[in-house]
Amino acid sequence: MPAATTATAPSDAGGALARLTAHAADRTAAAREWRASGRPVIGYVGADVPVELLTAVGALPVRLAGVPGADTTAGDRYLGHGVDLAARSVLTRLVNGDYGPLDGLVVSRDCEASARLFYAVRELRRVEPAMALPPAHLVDVLHLPHRSTTRYVRAKVAQMRATVETWAGRTITRTEFAEAIETHDRLRELLSEISQLRGRRPARLRGTTVLAAVAATTTLPAHRAVELLEEVRAHADALPGADEGVRVFVTGSGHDTTDVYAALEEAGLLVVGEDHDWGDLGHHRRVGEPTELALAERYQRNGPSAPRASIQRRAAHTAAAARASGAEALLSYVRDHDDGPLWDFPEQRAAAGLPAVMVERQPYGALTDEARASAAGLAYNEGGTR
Amino acid sequence: MSDRLASVEAALAHQRRWFADLRSEVADGAPLALVNADTPHEILRTMGISYVVNQWWASIVTAKGRAQDYLALLRERGYPDHSEQYSAIALGSLFDPDPGSAPWGGLPRPDLMLAETTGDASRKIFDVAAEHLGTAFYPLESAARDEVPPRWWELMPRRWEEAVGSDRLDLMVEELTGLIRFLEATTGREFSETRFREVMALANEQQEWNRRTRDLIARARPCPLGVTDSIPGVMIPQWHRGTTWARDAARALHDEVADRVARGTAVCPDERVRLMWVGRGLWFDLDFYRRFQRTHGAVFVWSMYLAIAADGYLRYGDDPLRALAARFAAFSDQLYTPPWSAEWYVKEARHHGVDGVVHLVSDDARGSYFTTRALRAAGIPVLELRADNVDSRGADGEALTRAVSDWLDEEVAPRP
Repeated sequence: MPAATTATAPSDAGGALARLTAHAADRTAAAREWRASGRPVIGYVGADVPVELLTAVGALPVRLAGVPGADTTAGDRYLGHGVDLAARSVLTRLVNGDYGPLDGLVVSRDCEASARLFYAVRELRRVEPAMALPPAHLVDVLHLPHRSTTRYVRAKVAQMRATVETWAGRTITRTEFAEAIETHDRLRELLSEISQLRGRRPARLRGTTVLAAVAATTTLPAHRAVELLEEVRAHADALPGADEGVRVFVTGSGHDTTDVYAALEEAGLLVVGEDHDWGDLGHHRRVGEPTELALAERYQRNGPSAPRASIQRRAAHTAAAARASGAEALLSYVRDHDDGPLWDFPEQRAAAGLPAVMVERQPYGALTDEARASAAGLAYNEGGTR
Repeated sequence: MSDRLASVEAALAHQRRWFADLRSEVADGAPLALVNADTPHEILRTMGISYVVNQWWASIVTAKGRAQDYLALLRERGYPDHSEQYSAIALGSLFDPDPGSAPWGGLPRPDLMLAETTGDASRKIFDVAAEHLGTAFYPLESAARDEVPPRWWELMPRRWEEAVGSDRLDLMVEELTGLIRFLEATTGREFSETRFREVMALANEQQEWNRRTRDLIARARPCPLGVTDSIPGVMIPQWHRGTTWARDAARALHDEVADRVARGTAVCPDERVRLMWVGRGLWFDLDFYRRFQRTHGAVFVWSMYLAIAADGYLRYGDDPLRALAARFAAFSDQLYTPPWSAEWYVKEARHHGVDGVVHLVSDDARGSYFTTRALRAAGIPVLELRADNVDSRGADGEALTRAVSDWLDEEVAPRP
């Protein structure tokens, strides 16, 4: 894998893909370059943060990810053991300074773990100022499908805009706002197209590669991510075919690293789609109009995510998305202390009408032996390709 | 040891009669709502729609030893039995194939449900009921605020706009307006603004009595009643909030406590240690609260139930719907969001002059660090007990008792 750099290199799909996914492995490379040129870097937690505002104010938005298997001492202490280990890992890394200097932190309430992480940061800044955690802002995007919720979210978008303008020491112009929305919408469109390459027959990409590509775009300046994705798309037909396997749609917990997808694909599966926000769910809805209202509506209506949507909406979405991806089986992977997906699964299974298994209480970034066997069972019993 | 308070016995008897009457009315076709504890019951009260509080029913089922049966019924249907147990037990009970064997004759099937969308899974419990039982579910947003008001308990009665924030209140008012229209349309019941104002006034009167009772207990030495009395004594009327019975029950509790204080009645004559219980009630082992009176002269003088009734509900104002929104738009913040919660627990610990705090920490996202830290920073010893308040699996009763006993011996008792 090449070193992560945002510099332009000769065009070809494989090279562009490699340069892109290198940023999934080194998630602070782009931030280091950005900061070196004197521009602000703002970390964010959760898929409900309107990143357009960060781009528009001239900051680099970096979505904070955890590291499976790494130390979680601080996260365990401040959040307790009842919170998803992925969030504990993020908080630990934040406390340890692993993300490098951040000019601010925006946290959404996309799930309870994110909310708890924000409360911990807010309180640590108050009672442990020596920790020097970045200033933090909660953007409370809610999701009930009502006009009243839209009005509320619109107010929250305006407040976040004011906060990041304060952090950056400048206001966002109308042009910058419109350009940021256009660029991030273009990024989403490209990610959707790249994601679908794994559903082709033969598949052009593996799920692991797509997941890495998405993760990389959450560390890069949006315009640079667009450039790299455009290169990949332009030369997609030249990509070597990916290893085939039983085509599986992944639901349940989100995946901020590729570890679980890699394990699934080693077990004979090909991940052709998912409904978590580090994958397809994060980019399937656009903003469209360059207005705060459109931005609010996009984030309110995006989803349906496991922690925030009704069981019925989740089941309908999962079934439709699995069908669209050409999946032959459904796998729900649920981390320990990520409760939402546990309740969704019976209706998802019924609606999808596919061979389906749920592996629950999984460790962060890994599968238990039993879960690995269950996943492999999907490959052997339903696909018959191994 | 003193006998149970007459006002508490009366409340318990009232609850039995009320539930039997409710079952009868529902059998005759009256609508029934199943509602979460922290939702605006006052609207249902105003419209004359009967409701059962989800967590109250869980406490009854658990105290009667049926919690595991109902969690198993969820598991049989593919749903988790280790997620949001406190809120999910009532759902499990609705799947009981032999409802006649349930405590108190069983929970009738509700026609509608009201709950806030807190956490990642609480709304899903109601989604399941909607899917399998055909019960209508009206979810309420659970909004959060970036900023924190200092000393919220001083602001809430009259300066709630400042404490809760206008955006949250605007949202909740719109949601409640929609709820009223929804109930009018689905039940045919009317919402009278005049009646609503009466309900709100009665609710405030009730909490004023609770506030006086809390203050009496905080000042009294020795403690005049145990938390096993104060919890039903305050919570049964709380679930009838907005009625004259509930207001009068709160007053009766106050008067009886005042009488006990005047006579020097002690729940533990040998009171040497005053303890605070932070967390939900340990419904599967209520004797736990008296166990250390005998061995250590240690009395639990505080639980959140009376204290939050005293500080968390009072809302005055000319616009009763906005005042009601203010009662619930930040309710969980008061108990579970630092620093709202942590500062309040410290304030209450000092107010009651406790010698130590037993903090129940469940295996969920609410966390304990900041509350425990704040209490310890105030010089108060804290023991964190790890257990779920309704799910006794994994809770070693002897180990819990031993942990408290050892902590009392080693950390609390030696203090000057």
